[in-house]
Amino acid sequence: MSDNVSLSLRAPLDGVLEVEGVAGDRFAALSELEIAALPVVMRSRPAKLGDFFDVRGGLSSNVRIEGDLSCVHRLAAGMTGGRVHVVGNVGDEAGLAMAGGVLWIEGNAGDRLGAAPAGASKGMSGGEIIVTGSAGADAAMRTRRGLVVVAGDVGTDAARAMLAGTLVAFGRVGARPGRGSKRGSIVALGGIDVPETYWLACTYQPPYVRLLLTYLRRTHSLAVDDRMLDGSYRRHCGDAGNPGRGEILEWVNA
Amino acid sequence: MKIRGVLIDDTFAEAFGMRAARIVITASNERWARVAAEQMTGFATSVIACKCEAAIERELGPEDTPDSRPGVSVLLFAMDTDGLGKRLIERIGQTVLTCPTTSCFDGLPGTPERLKPGKALRVFGDRFQSSKMIGGERYWRIPVMEGEFLVQESFGVQKKGVGGGNFLILADDAASGLAAAEAAVTAIAGSPGVILPFPGGVVRSGSKVGARGYANMIASTNDAFCPTLRLTTDSALSEGVNSVLEIVLDGLDSPAIVEAMRTGILAACRPGVRAISAGNYGGGLGPYHFHLRKIMDGAS
Repeated sequence: MSDNVSLSLRAPLDGVLEVEGVAGDRFAALSELEIAALPVVMRSRPAKLGDFFDVRGGLSSNVRIEGDLSCVHRLAAGMTGGRVHVVGNVGDEAGLAMAGGVLWIEGNAGDRLGAAPAGASKGMSGGEIIVTGSAGADAAMRTRRGLVVVAGDVGTDAARAMLAGTLVAFGRVGARPGRGSKRGSIVALGGIDVPETYWLACTYQPPYVRLLLTYLRRTHSLAVDDRMLDGSYRRHCGDAGNPGRGEILEWVNA
Repeated sequence: MKIRGVLIDDTFAEAFGMRAARIVITASNERWARVAAEQMTGFATSVIACKCEAAIERELGPEDTPDSRPGVSVLLFAMDTDGLGKRLIERIGQTVLTCPTTSCFDGLPGTPERLKPGKALRVFGDRFQSSKMIGGERYWRIPVMEGEFLVQESFGVQKKGVGGGNFLILADDAASGLAAAEAAVTAIAGSPGVILPFPGGVVRSGSKVGARGYANMIASTNDAFCPTLRLTTDSALSEGVNSVLEIVLDGLDSPAIVEAMRTGILAACRPGVRAISAGNYGGGLGPYHFHLRKIMDGAS
Protein backbone atom coordinates (compact mmCIF):
# COMPACT_ATOMS: atom_id res chain seq x y z
CA MET A 1 0.00 0.00 0.00
CA SER A 2 1.28 3.49 -0.86
CA ASP A 3 0.23 6.97 0.23
CA ASN A 4 -1.06 7.72 -3.19
CA VAL A 5 -1.15 6.53 -6.75
CA SER A 6 0.63 8.75 -9.22
CA LEU A 7 -0.06 8.79 -12.96
CA SER A 8 2.13 10.84 -15.28
CA LEU A 9 1.25 11.24 -18.92
CA ARG A 10 4.22 9.90 -20.84
CA ALA A 11 3.73 11.86 -24.08
CA PRO A 12 1.13 14.20 -25.54
CA LEU A 13 -1.92 12.33 -26.82
CA ASP A 14 -2.80 12.45 -30.49
CA GLY A 15 -6.39 11.27 -30.08
CA VAL A 16 -9.23 10.79 -27.63
CA LEU A 17 -8.46 8.48 -24.73
CA GLU A 18 -11.37 7.13 -22.70
CA VAL A 19 -10.39 6.11 -19.16
CA GLU A 20 -13.58 5.13 -17.39
CA GLY A 21 -11.89 3.10 -14.67
CA VAL A 22 -9.63 5.81 -13.29
CA ALA A 23 -11.26 6.47 -9.91
CA GLY A 24 -10.09 6.70 -6.33
CA ASP A 25 -12.30 3.94 -4.98
CA ARG A 26 -11.20 1.55 -7.71
CA PHE A 27 -7.49 2.23 -7.29
CA ALA A 28 -7.78 1.51 -3.58
CA ALA A 29 -8.11 -2.18 -4.41
CA LEU A 30 -5.56 -2.38 -7.24
CA SER A 31 -1.81 -2.82 -7.24
CA GLU A 32 0.52 -0.78 -9.42
CA LEU A 33 0.60 -3.51 -12.05
CA GLU A 34 -3.15 -3.93 -12.02
CA ILE A 35 -3.66 -0.20 -12.46
CA ALA A 36 -1.26 -0.12 -15.38
CA ALA A 37 -3.19 -3.00 -16.93
CA LEU A 38 -6.59 -1.29 -16.68
CA PRO A 39 -8.38 -1.29 -20.03
CA VAL A 40 -8.81 2.05 -21.78
CA VAL A 41 -9.95 3.01 -25.26
CA MET A 42 -7.67 5.02 -27.55
CA ARG A 43 -9.34 6.29 -30.71
CA SER A 44 -11.92 3.51 -30.41
CA ARG A 45 -9.26 0.81 -30.00
CA PRO A 46 -8.63 -1.12 -26.79
CA ALA A 47 -5.42 -0.35 -24.94
CA LYS A 48 -4.01 -0.29 -21.41
CA LEU A 49 -3.64 2.62 -19.06
CA GLY A 50 0.05 1.85 -18.69
CA ASP A 51 0.51 2.39 -22.43
CA PHE A 52 0.07 6.12 -21.88
CA PHE A 53 0.86 6.78 -18.23
CA ASP A 54 3.74 6.03 -15.91
CA VAL A 55 2.07 4.49 -12.88
CA ARG A 56 3.59 4.68 -9.42
CA GLY A 57 1.99 3.21 -6.31
CA GLY A 58 -1.11 1.17 -5.68
CA LEU A 59 -3.78 0.22 -3.16
CA SER A 60 -4.61 3.85 -2.42
CA SER A 61 -7.73 5.91 -3.04
CA ASN A 62 -5.64 9.07 -3.24
CA VAL A 63 -4.75 9.57 -6.90
CA ARG A 64 -2.63 12.28 -8.50
CA ILE A 65 -2.51 12.66 -12.27
CA GLU A 66 -0.20 15.01 -14.13
CA GLY A 67 -0.21 16.08 -17.76
CA ASP A 68 -2.41 17.73 -20.33
CA LEU A 69 -5.43 15.46 -20.32
CA SER A 70 -7.54 17.61 -22.65
CA CYS A 71 -8.06 14.55 -24.82
CA VAL A 72 -8.79 12.24 -21.88
CA HIS A 73 -12.51 11.64 -21.44
CA ARG A 74 -14.55 10.15 -18.60
CA LEU A 75 -11.94 10.65 -15.94
CA ALA A 76 -13.31 9.58 -12.52
CA ALA A 77 -16.60 8.55 -14.12
CA GLY A 78 -18.76 6.69 -11.63
CA MET A 79 -16.30 7.29 -8.79
CA THR A 80 -17.79 6.44 -5.39
CA GLY A 81 -15.00 7.52 -3.07
CA GLY A 82 -11.41 8.65 -2.70
CA ARG A 83 -9.73 11.65 -4.22
CA VAL A 84 -8.47 12.24 -7.73
CA HIS A 85 -6.28 15.32 -8.15
CA VAL A 86 -5.49 16.28 -11.72
CA VAL A 87 -2.76 18.79 -12.45
CA GLY A 88 -3.66 19.85 -15.96
CA ASN A 89 -6.71 20.19 -18.18
CA VAL A 90 -9.17 17.32 -18.61
CA GLY A 91 -11.45 16.37 -21.48
CA ASP A 92 -15.17 15.68 -21.65
CA GLU A 93 -17.36 13.86 -19.13
CA ALA A 94 -15.01 14.11 -16.17
CA GLY A 95 -16.82 12.92 -13.06
CA LEU A 96 -19.66 11.55 -15.16
CA ALA A 97 -22.34 10.13 -12.83
CA MET A 98 -20.00 10.42 -9.88
CA ALA A 99 -21.42 9.09 -6.61
CA GLY A 100 -18.80 10.05 -4.04
CA GLY A 101 -15.28 11.26 -3.36
CA VAL A 102 -13.53 14.37 -4.62
CA LEU A 103 -12.37 15.15 -8.14
CA TRP A 104 -10.00 18.11 -8.05
CA ILE A 105 -9.02 19.51 -11.43
CA GLU A 106 -6.24 22.07 -11.45
CA GLY A 107 -7.04 23.31 -14.93
CA ASN A 108 -9.99 23.41 -17.30
CA ALA A 109 -12.64 20.76 -17.84
CA GLY A 110 -14.42 19.87 -21.08
CA ASP A 111 -18.12 19.35 -21.72
CA ARG A 112 -20.59 17.41 -19.53
CA LEU A 113 -18.62 17.79 -16.32
CA GLY A 114 -20.38 15.75 -13.61
CA ALA A 115 -23.23 15.10 -16.00
CA ALA A 116 -25.43 12.08 -16.72
CA PRO A 117 -24.38 9.40 -19.20
CA ALA A 118 -26.22 9.53 -22.49
CA GLY A 119 -29.78 8.33 -22.01
CA ALA A 120 -29.53 8.12 -18.22
CA SER A 121 -32.13 9.86 -16.08
CA LYS A 122 -29.66 10.82 -13.35
CA GLY A 123 -26.19 12.30 -13.36
CA MET A 124 -24.02 12.85 -10.35
CA SER A 125 -25.46 11.37 -7.18
CA GLY A 126 -22.79 12.46 -4.70
CA GLY A 127 -19.26 13.68 -4.21
CA GLU A 128 -17.57 16.92 -5.11
CA ILE A 129 -15.95 18.21 -8.27
CA ILE A 130 -13.71 21.24 -8.04
CA VAL A 131 -12.35 22.87 -11.20
CA THR A 132 -9.89 25.71 -10.77
CA GLY A 133 -10.26 26.77 -14.40
CA SER A 134 -13.31 26.81 -16.63
CA ALA A 135 -15.79 24.13 -17.69
CA GLY A 136 -17.52 23.43 -20.99
CA ALA A 137 -21.17 22.91 -21.89
CA ASP A 138 -23.71 20.83 -19.99
CA ALA A 139 -21.91 20.93 -16.65
CA ALA A 140 -23.87 19.28 -13.82
CA MET A 141 -26.53 18.06 -16.25
CA ARG A 142 -29.23 15.94 -14.51
CA THR A 143 -27.33 16.08 -11.23
CA ARG A 144 -29.22 14.27 -8.50
CA ARG A 145 -26.97 15.17 -5.58
CA GLY A 146 -23.44 16.43 -5.13
CA LEU A 147 -21.47 19.57 -5.66
CA VAL A 148 -19.81 20.95 -8.79
CA VAL A 149 -17.64 24.02 -8.32
CA VAL A 150 -16.02 25.90 -11.18
CA ALA A 151 -13.65 28.71 -10.33
CA GLY A 152 -13.79 30.11 -13.86
CA ASP A 153 -16.52 30.35 -16.47
CA VAL A 154 -19.10 27.66 -17.16
CA GLY A 155 -20.33 26.88 -20.67
CA THR A 156 -23.82 26.80 -22.11
CA ASP A 157 -26.71 24.70 -20.76
CA ALA A 158 -25.24 24.39 -17.29
CA ALA A 159 -27.30 22.44 -14.75
CA ARG A 160 -29.76 21.35 -17.41
CA ALA A 161 -32.61 19.21 -16.04
CA MET A 162 -30.98 19.24 -12.63
CA LEU A 163 -32.79 17.08 -10.07
CA ALA A 164 -31.01 18.45 -7.01
CA GLY A 165 -27.41 19.19 -6.09
CA THR A 166 -25.48 22.40 -6.51
CA LEU A 167 -23.42 24.08 -9.21
CA VAL A 168 -21.23 26.96 -8.06
CA ALA A 169 -19.70 29.17 -10.73
CA PHE A 170 -17.21 31.84 -9.72
CA GLY A 171 -16.95 32.98 -13.33
CA ARG A 172 -19.67 33.74 -15.84
CA VAL A 173 -22.36 31.16 -16.55
CA GLY A 174 -23.14 30.53 -20.22
CA ALA A 175 -26.49 30.73 -21.99
CA ARG A 176 -29.59 28.75 -20.99
CA PRO A 177 -28.61 27.82 -17.43
CA GLY A 178 -30.90 25.64 -15.33
CA ARG A 179 -33.19 24.72 -18.20
CA GLY A 180 -35.72 22.14 -17.01
CA SER A 181 -34.30 22.17 -13.49
CA LYS A 182 -36.51 20.46 -10.93
CA ARG A 183 -34.81 21.21 -7.63
CA GLY A 184 -31.16 22.04 -7.98
CA SER A 185 -29.24 25.19 -7.15
CA ILE A 186 -26.99 27.34 -9.31
CA VAL A 187 -24.88 29.76 -7.31
CA ALA A 188 -23.72 32.38 -9.79
CA LEU A 189 -20.91 34.54 -8.49
CA GLY A 190 -19.55 35.94 -11.75
CA GLY A 191 -22.60 36.91 -13.74
CA ILE A 192 -25.46 35.03 -15.32
CA ASP A 193 -28.23 35.71 -17.82
CA VAL A 194 -31.23 34.42 -15.95
CA PRO A 195 -33.66 32.65 -18.31
CA GLU A 196 -37.13 34.13 -18.72
CA THR A 197 -38.56 30.95 -17.25
CA TYR A 198 -37.12 31.90 -13.85
CA TRP A 199 -38.79 34.48 -11.62
CA LEU A 200 -37.19 36.71 -9.05
CA ALA A 201 -38.47 35.72 -5.60
CA CYS A 202 -36.43 38.00 -3.38
CA THR A 203 -33.00 39.41 -2.63
CA TYR A 204 -31.55 38.03 0.59
CA GLN A 205 -28.50 36.53 2.28
CA PRO A 206 -28.85 32.76 2.01
CA PRO A 207 -27.16 31.16 5.04
CA TYR A 208 -26.59 28.03 2.98
CA VAL A 209 -24.39 29.90 0.48
CA ARG A 210 -22.37 31.40 3.30
CA LEU A 211 -21.81 27.94 4.78
CA LEU A 212 -20.93 26.49 1.40
CA LEU A 213 -18.46 29.22 0.51
CA THR A 214 -16.80 28.94 3.92
CA TYR A 215 -16.50 25.21 3.35
CA LEU A 216 -14.92 25.75 -0.09
CA ARG A 217 -12.47 28.26 1.33
CA ARG A 218 -11.43 26.11 4.28
CA THR A 219 -11.55 22.63 2.81
CA HIS A 220 -10.56 23.25 -0.80
CA SER A 221 -8.55 26.48 -0.32
CA LEU A 222 -10.56 28.28 -2.98
CA ALA A 223 -10.21 32.06 -3.07
CA VAL A 224 -13.56 33.28 -1.82
CA ASP A 225 -14.06 37.02 -1.64
CA ASP A 226 -15.41 38.19 1.73
CA ARG A 227 -18.00 40.18 -0.22
CA MET A 228 -19.42 36.90 -1.50
CA LEU A 229 -19.83 35.68 2.07
CA ASP A 230 -21.41 38.87 3.33
CA GLY A 231 -23.28 39.83 0.20
CA SER A 232 -26.85 39.56 -0.95
CA TYR A 233 -28.19 37.21 -3.58
CA ARG A 234 -31.15 37.39 -5.92
CA ARG A 235 -33.17 34.22 -5.67
CA HIS A 236 -34.66 33.28 -9.03
CA CYS A 237 -37.03 30.30 -8.97
CA GLY A 238 -37.75 27.96 -11.85
CA ASP A 239 -37.70 26.35 -14.21
CA ALA A 240 -41.24 27.40 -15.00
CA GLY A 241 -41.23 25.28 -18.11
CA ASN A 242 -40.75 22.10 -16.08
CA PRO A 243 -42.23 23.21 -13.59
CA GLY A 244 -39.70 22.87 -10.83
CA ARG A 245 -38.32 24.13 -7.56
CA GLY A 246 -34.91 24.93 -8.88
CA GLU A 247 -33.16 28.12 -7.98
CA ILE A 248 -30.53 30.47 -9.29
CA LEU A 249 -28.81 32.40 -6.54
CA GLU A 250 -27.23 35.37 -8.25
CA TRP A 251 -24.69 37.31 -6.25
CA VAL A 252 -25.47 41.01 -6.12
CA ASN A 253 -22.01 42.48 -6.45
CA ALA A 254 -22.12 45.79 -4.62
CA MET B 1 -4.91 19.78 53.17
CA LYS B 2 -5.07 23.55 53.08
CA ILE B 3 -4.77 25.95 50.14
CA ARG B 4 -4.02 29.56 51.09
CA GLY B 5 -5.37 28.76 54.55
CA VAL B 6 -8.60 27.20 53.26
CA LEU B 7 -9.29 23.64 54.40
CA ILE B 8 -9.97 21.14 51.61
CA ASP B 9 -12.34 18.56 53.11
CA ASP B 10 -11.46 14.91 52.77
CA THR B 11 -14.56 14.12 50.78
CA PHE B 12 -15.76 13.72 47.22
CA ALA B 13 -18.33 14.97 44.75
CA GLU B 14 -20.61 12.26 43.46
CA ALA B 15 -21.69 12.61 39.83
CA PHE B 16 -23.75 10.76 37.25
CA GLY B 17 -23.44 9.67 33.64
CA MET B 18 -25.38 11.81 31.21
CA ARG B 19 -25.83 12.19 27.48
CA ALA B 20 -24.62 15.47 26.03
CA ALA B 21 -24.76 17.49 22.83
CA ARG B 22 -22.84 20.57 21.76
CA ILE B 23 -24.86 23.07 19.76
CA VAL B 24 -23.15 25.82 17.81
CA ILE B 25 -25.38 28.81 17.19
CA THR B 26 -24.22 31.48 14.76
CA ALA B 27 -25.81 34.79 13.88
CA SER B 28 -25.14 38.02 12.05
CA ASN B 29 -23.43 39.38 15.16
CA GLU B 30 -22.45 38.39 18.71
CA ARG B 31 -25.58 39.90 20.18
CA TRP B 32 -28.06 37.73 18.31
CA ALA B 33 -25.97 34.59 18.74
CA ARG B 34 -25.97 35.20 22.47
CA VAL B 35 -29.68 36.03 22.56
CA ALA B 36 -30.48 32.66 21.00
CA ALA B 37 -28.04 30.82 23.25
CA GLU B 38 -29.43 32.43 26.38
CA GLN B 39 -32.96 31.54 25.34
CA MET B 40 -31.92 28.00 24.56
CA THR B 41 -30.28 27.52 27.93
CA GLY B 42 -33.04 29.16 29.94
CA PHE B 43 -34.80 27.04 32.58
CA ALA B 44 -32.22 24.30 32.25
CA THR B 45 -30.58 24.21 35.67
CA SER B 46 -31.40 20.68 36.77
CA VAL B 47 -32.81 17.55 35.16
CA ILE B 48 -34.95 17.13 38.25
CA ALA B 49 -37.48 19.67 37.01
CA CYS B 50 -36.16 21.04 33.72
CA LYS B 51 -35.62 17.68 31.95
CA CYS B 52 -32.18 18.85 30.88
CA GLU B 53 -29.22 20.92 31.98
CA ALA B 54 -27.71 23.44 29.62
CA ALA B 55 -25.52 26.51 29.54
CA ILE B 56 -23.22 28.47 27.31
CA GLU B 57 -19.83 26.80 26.98
CA ARG B 58 -18.03 29.66 25.27
CA GLU B 59 -18.28 32.35 22.64
CA LEU B 60 -16.87 31.59 19.23
CA GLY B 61 -15.17 33.85 16.73
CA PRO B 62 -15.94 33.68 13.00
CA GLU B 63 -12.84 31.53 12.50
CA ASP B 64 -14.31 28.88 14.83
CA THR B 65 -17.76 28.53 13.27
CA PRO B 66 -18.82 26.62 10.16
CA ASP B 67 -20.23 29.70 8.40
CA SER B 68 -17.62 32.30 9.43
CA ARG B 69 -20.02 34.20 11.62
CA PRO B 70 -19.86 34.98 15.34
CA GLY B 71 -21.27 32.18 17.40
CA VAL B 72 -21.90 30.64 20.77
CA SER B 73 -21.29 27.07 21.83
CA VAL B 74 -23.93 25.52 24.08
CA LEU B 75 -23.74 22.22 25.95
CA LEU B 76 -26.98 20.40 26.69
CA PHE B 77 -27.21 17.38 28.99
CA ALA B 78 -30.02 14.87 29.55
CA MET B 79 -30.30 11.58 31.37
CA ASP B 80 -30.68 9.46 28.22
CA THR B 81 -30.38 9.70 24.45
CA ASP B 82 -34.12 9.76 23.90
CA GLY B 83 -34.54 12.67 26.29
CA LEU B 84 -31.63 14.50 24.72
CA GLY B 85 -33.23 14.20 21.30
CA LYS B 86 -36.54 15.61 22.52
CA ARG B 87 -34.90 18.54 24.27
CA LEU B 88 -32.84 19.37 21.18
CA ILE B 89 -35.94 19.47 18.99
CA GLU B 90 -37.87 21.57 21.52
CA ARG B 91 -35.14 24.02 22.28
CA ILE B 92 -33.66 24.50 18.81
CA GLY B 93 -37.19 24.77 17.43
CA GLN B 94 -38.46 27.28 19.94
CA THR B 95 -35.41 29.38 20.64
CA VAL B 96 -33.00 29.22 17.68
CA LEU B 97 -35.32 28.80 14.73
CA THR B 98 -37.36 31.72 16.02
CA CYS B 99 -34.40 34.02 16.64
CA PRO B 100 -33.42 36.47 13.88
CA THR B 101 -30.39 35.69 11.70
CA THR B 102 -29.37 32.47 13.45
CA SER B 103 -28.14 29.17 12.05
CA CYS B 104 -27.57 26.02 14.08
CA PHE B 105 -24.79 23.45 13.77
CA ASP B 106 -23.50 20.34 15.51
CA GLY B 107 -20.49 20.94 17.71
CA LEU B 108 -19.48 17.29 18.10
CA PRO B 109 -18.49 16.25 14.56
CA GLY B 110 -17.23 12.73 14.20
CA THR B 111 -19.21 11.44 17.17
CA PRO B 112 -20.61 8.07 16.06
CA GLU B 113 -23.94 8.17 17.88
CA ARG B 114 -26.18 10.74 16.20
CA LEU B 115 -29.55 12.36 16.78
CA LYS B 116 -31.44 14.11 14.01
CA PRO B 117 -33.23 17.14 15.40
CA GLY B 118 -32.75 18.95 12.10
CA LYS B 119 -34.69 16.24 10.31
CA ALA B 120 -37.56 16.67 12.75
CA LEU B 121 -37.51 20.45 12.54
CA ARG B 122 -37.52 20.48 8.75
CA VAL B 123 -41.26 19.83 8.64
CA PHE B 124 -41.82 23.37 9.91
CA GLY B 125 -41.04 24.21 6.31
CA ASP B 126 -44.34 22.58 5.27
CA ARG B 127 -42.72 20.83 2.29
CA PHE B 128 -41.09 24.06 1.11
CA GLN B 129 -37.88 23.04 2.89
CA SER B 130 -34.90 21.69 1.00
CA SER B 131 -31.71 19.96 1.99
CA LYS B 132 -28.11 20.32 0.91
CA MET B 133 -25.10 18.08 1.47
CA ILE B 134 -21.84 19.84 2.29
CA GLY B 135 -18.75 17.88 3.25
CA GLY B 136 -20.80 14.75 3.85
CA GLU B 137 -23.24 16.48 6.21
CA ARG B 138 -26.84 17.24 5.44
CA TYR B 139 -28.26 20.68 6.19
CA TRP B 140 -31.88 21.76 6.06
CA ARG B 141 -32.94 25.07 4.60
CA ILE B 142 -36.24 26.04 6.16
CA PRO B 143 -37.98 29.06 4.68
CA VAL B 144 -39.02 31.60 7.32
CA MET B 145 -40.49 35.08 7.09
CA GLU B 146 -37.08 36.67 7.60
CA GLY B 147 -35.46 34.58 4.89
CA GLU B 148 -34.12 31.13 5.63
CA PHE B 149 -33.19 29.13 8.71
CA LEU B 150 -30.29 26.72 8.27
CA VAL B 151 -29.94 23.77 10.61
CA GLN B 152 -27.67 20.76 10.47
CA GLU B 153 -29.59 17.52 10.27
CA SER B 154 -27.70 15.44 12.80
CA PHE B 155 -26.01 16.21 16.10
CA GLY B 156 -23.45 14.06 17.89
CA VAL B 157 -24.24 12.44 21.23
CA GLN B 158 -21.48 12.31 23.82
CA LYS B 159 -22.15 9.13 25.78
CA LYS B 160 -19.47 9.83 28.38
CA GLY B 161 -21.06 13.02 29.65
CA VAL B 162 -20.92 13.64 33.39
CA GLY B 163 -23.49 15.61 35.34
CA GLY B 164 -23.37 16.80 38.94
CA GLY B 165 -19.70 17.47 39.54
CA ASN B 166 -19.67 19.96 42.38
CA PHE B 167 -17.90 21.67 45.20
CA LEU B 168 -19.16 23.67 48.17
CA ILE B 169 -17.74 26.95 49.37
CA LEU B 170 -18.04 27.26 53.15
CA ALA B 171 -17.62 30.93 54.02
CA ASP B 172 -17.52 33.27 57.00
CA ASP B 173 -20.38 35.29 55.59
CA ALA B 174 -22.61 35.59 52.54
CA ALA B 175 -20.54 38.33 50.90
CA SER B 176 -17.29 36.36 51.18
CA GLY B 177 -19.00 33.23 49.90
CA LEU B 178 -20.45 35.03 46.91
CA ALA B 179 -17.13 36.69 46.07
CA ALA B 180 -15.41 33.30 46.18
CA ALA B 181 -18.13 31.71 44.04
CA GLU B 182 -17.87 34.51 41.50
CA ALA B 183 -14.12 34.07 41.37
CA ALA B 184 -14.56 30.34 40.79
CA VAL B 185 -17.12 30.90 38.02
CA THR B 186 -14.87 33.42 36.31
CA ALA B 187 -11.93 31.03 36.49
CA ILE B 188 -13.93 28.10 35.09
CA ALA B 189 -15.58 30.16 32.31
CA GLY B 190 -14.45 29.00 28.91
CA SER B 191 -13.10 25.67 30.14
CA PRO B 192 -13.56 23.34 27.18
CA GLY B 193 -16.32 20.79 27.57
CA VAL B 194 -17.71 22.15 30.85
CA ILE B 195 -20.75 24.17 31.81
CA LEU B 196 -22.15 25.54 35.05
CA PRO B 197 -25.92 25.20 34.50
CA PHE B 198 -27.19 27.12 37.53
CA PRO B 199 -27.89 30.87 37.70
CA GLY B 200 -24.65 32.70 37.16
CA GLY B 201 -22.93 29.35 37.68
CA VAL B 202 -23.81 29.32 41.40
CA VAL B 203 -26.31 27.33 43.49
CA ARG B 204 -27.47 28.62 46.84
CA SER B 205 -29.98 25.82 47.43
CA GLY B 206 -28.03 22.59 47.24
CA SER B 207 -30.25 19.55 47.69
CA LYS B 208 -30.23 16.10 49.18
CA VAL B 209 -32.03 13.09 47.75
CA GLY B 210 -35.65 12.83 48.93
CA ALA B 211 -37.00 14.52 52.05
CA ARG B 212 -37.52 13.71 55.69
CA GLY B 213 -40.99 15.17 55.96
CA TYR B 214 -42.51 14.67 52.50
CA ALA B 215 -42.60 11.26 50.88
CA ASN B 216 -43.25 12.54 47.37
CA MET B 217 -40.30 14.94 47.20
CA ILE B 218 -37.48 13.87 44.88
CA ALA B 219 -35.10 16.37 46.44
CA SER B 220 -35.14 18.75 49.34
CA THR B 221 -32.85 21.25 51.03
CA ASN B 222 -29.40 20.02 51.98
CA ASP B 223 -29.98 20.68 55.67
CA ALA B 224 -26.54 19.45 56.67
CA PHE B 225 -25.06 22.50 54.92
CA CYS B 226 -27.68 25.07 55.93
CA PRO B 227 -26.08 27.48 58.46
CA THR B 228 -29.42 28.30 60.05
CA LEU B 229 -29.89 24.63 60.97
CA ARG B 230 -26.41 24.09 62.41
CA LEU B 231 -27.78 23.39 65.87
CA THR B 232 -31.05 21.72 64.85
CA THR B 233 -29.94 19.06 62.39
CA ASP B 234 -27.01 16.71 61.87
CA SER B 235 -24.91 19.57 60.51
CA ALA B 236 -21.73 19.29 58.48
CA LEU B 237 -20.79 22.88 59.31
CA SER B 238 -18.35 24.01 61.91
CA GLU B 239 -18.82 27.10 64.02
CA GLY B 240 -18.09 30.28 62.09
CA VAL B 241 -19.48 29.06 58.77
CA ASN B 242 -22.39 31.38 58.05
CA SER B 243 -22.97 30.84 54.31
CA VAL B 244 -22.49 28.02 51.82
CA LEU B 245 -22.64 28.21 48.04
CA GLU B 246 -22.31 25.36 45.57
CA ILE B 247 -20.75 25.24 42.12
CA VAL B 248 -22.29 22.48 39.97
CA LEU B 249 -20.44 21.34 36.88
CA ASP B 250 -21.53 19.24 33.90
CA GLY B 251 -18.84 18.04 31.52
CA LEU B 252 -18.40 16.18 28.28
CA ASP B 253 -16.19 13.74 30.15
CA SER B 254 -14.65 13.11 33.55
CA PRO B 255 -11.24 14.73 32.88
CA ALA B 256 -12.96 17.97 31.84
CA ILE B 257 -14.77 18.05 35.20
CA VAL B 258 -11.57 17.37 37.13
CA GLU B 259 -9.72 20.17 35.37
CA ALA B 260 -12.54 22.67 35.87
CA MET B 261 -12.98 21.71 39.54
CA ARG B 262 -9.28 22.22 40.16
CA THR B 263 -9.41 25.64 38.49
CA GLY B 264 -12.54 26.68 40.34
CA ILE B 265 -11.48 25.48 43.79
CA LEU B 266 -8.14 27.20 43.46
CA ALA B 267 -9.88 30.47 42.62
CA ALA B 268 -12.35 30.03 45.49
CA CYS B 269 -9.62 29.65 48.10
CA ARG B 270 -9.50 33.25 49.21
CA PRO B 271 -9.96 35.33 52.38
CA GLY B 272 -13.32 34.79 54.06
CA VAL B 273 -13.56 31.15 52.96
CA ARG B 274 -13.08 28.53 55.69
CA ALA B 275 -13.35 25.31 53.75
CA ILE B 276 -14.15 23.66 50.44
CA SER B 277 -16.37 20.61 50.61
CA ALA B 278 -18.48 18.61 48.17
CA GLY B 279 -21.88 17.01 47.88
CA ASN B 280 -22.33 13.27 47.70
CA TYR B 281 -24.87 10.60 48.51
CA GLY B 282 -22.53 8.27 50.31
CA GLY B 283 -21.03 6.98 47.08
CA GLY B 284 -23.78 4.52 46.31
CA LEU B 285 -25.68 6.41 43.62
CA GLY B 286 -23.32 8.05 41.15
CA PRO B 287 -20.51 6.18 39.39
CA TYR B 288 -18.22 9.21 39.29
CA HIS B 289 -16.43 10.21 42.51
CA PHE B 290 -14.32 13.35 42.39
CA HIS B 291 -12.14 13.35 45.50
CA LEU B 292 -11.26 16.92 46.36
CA ARG B 293 -7.83 16.20 47.83
CA LYS B 294 -6.81 14.05 44.87
CA ILE B 295 -7.92 16.76 42.47
CA MET B 296 -6.13 19.48 44.37
CA ASP B 297 -2.99 17.49 45.11
CA GLY B 298 -0.14 19.63 43.84
CA ALA B 299 -2.49 22.36 42.59
CA SER B 300 -1.58 24.83 45.30
